[in-house]
Amino acid sequence: MKLVVPMLLASAVTGAAFSNSTAQAQTGPAIPTFAQPARLKAGETFLGGKRLFPSPVFHDIDGDGLQDIVVGDLKGRLTVALRKPGKGPAAYAAETNLMSVDGKEIDFHNW
Amino acid sequence: MSPQFVDLNGDGKLDIVAGTFDGSPHVAYATDKGWKQPEQIVDRNGARIMANDFWNFETKKWDSTNLCDPEGVRVESGSQVTSAVAFDWEGDGDLDLLLGDHKNGYVYLRRNEGSATRPAFAVRNEQVQAGSKPMKVPGTVATMRLVDWNRDGLTDLACGSMGDSYGQLEGGGVFVYGNSGTKQLPVFGEPLVLLRPSMKTSKEGPTRPDSGLYMDFGDADGDGDLDLLVGAYSHWSVEGPPLTAQQKVRVKDLKEQLAAVQTESAKLNEALGFIVTGLDEEAAAKKREELLATQKEARLALNKRRLELQEELDPMEGGPKRDSFVWIYENQSPPAPAKPSESR
Repeated sequence: MKLVVPMLLASAVTGAAFSNSTAQAQTGPAIPTFAQPARLKAGETFLGGKRLFPSPVFHDIDGDGLQDIVVGDLKGRLTVALRKPGKGPAAYAAETNLMSVDGKEIDFHNW
Repeated sequence: MSPQFVDLNGDGKLDIVAGTFDGSPHVAYATDKGWKQPEQIVDRNGARIMANDFWNFETKKWDSTNLCDPEGVRVESGSQVTSAVAFDWEGDGDLDLLLGDHKNGYVYLRRNEGSATRPAFAVRNEQVQAGSKPMKVPGTVATMRLVDWNRDGLTDLACGSMGDSYGQLEGGGVFVYGNSGTKQLPVFGEPLVLLRPSMKTSKEGPTRPDSGLYMDFGDADGDGDLDLLVGAYSHWSVEGPPLTAQQKVRVKDLKEQLAAVQTESAKLNEALGFIVTGLDEEAAAKKREELLATQKEARLALNKRRLELQEELDPMEGGPKRDSFVWIYENQSPPAPAKPSESR
């Protein structure tokens, strides 16, 4: 199923509102200790698999308070993997295309 | 392209800003019903924002310009901006643009000379400095993210780098340029290395993001710290399995078929070059477009065939492998003591 996204209002702090990529950080020390990396799955397949230069960003796309993942790519298309509710390791639903108001996939111009 | 959800025009809705490989930043403006299709972000004169190299949509060719070079600065040729983030550089309440250079690794600033609700971007880039030198991201810029990494109330700049995305040379890494300036005047120094560039040594399948690192930060596991999310190519090498005589014959056959597909593709490309010989740019572009339209089905069929052959061949062949994934690095550092934001 393709996803048509409800709009989210930005917080109107300075007019320069960001999604959590600008994180009002709750970071640890300057040099963190990271666990070994793990490949994320969206549904039954690897998130970003077979995409050209997958570029993920955390964003709560459906306003449920959970950080979903939006993935862009070289072709200029965007997909969304919705975060599943529940405790334990983060789990994500299968990717769906991010749609524009014209009913078509959002398509960032490219060469 | 790496998307940033940000309110670029100050209307209270999160737009999507992204640089793309055409060499310019774009934005999909949000409406009450969803996002519009993206459009180029232009400067105060309505001109395209870029560095040097760009895809010329009129001539349908790669092109280059020095029009946007920083005033009085001789830029290393061939900068191509393929990533962009909106950021209030001087703390004046409107969003400026940071542009990442995919070819040389530089980061440029395009100042917003308008307002938060009516952006009017400068006509030239400014070179962002790291210490006393222009910021030059090792492995060149894949993406940029804004993060207050050391919790001092100032926005730091994180960069993921490309590295060698196709071959066996050094891959990309993740770097954080700490901001030691003020909210009105960011000052960046040497970067903190979060992920060292990969040497692509894995022989056990994908073990990490190796090249073309596009990262973001978020608290994925809800423990209050920032985890690292990375989209990238993984590179690894495998030894081919022992083959039966029948499989060896099949491998030879598949390689011959792949070579034939390659030859057919080359012929199509050759025809494109031949048909425009002697034509002026406009006529050549028109001819090229016409021929590409007639070749479309053939090109799609060849590509499909190539993928089918490669898919059958891969499990029987050793050698370098590459595939794309999204990885999570869980931050396992103990919580840092609270540190009040400084007021600067």
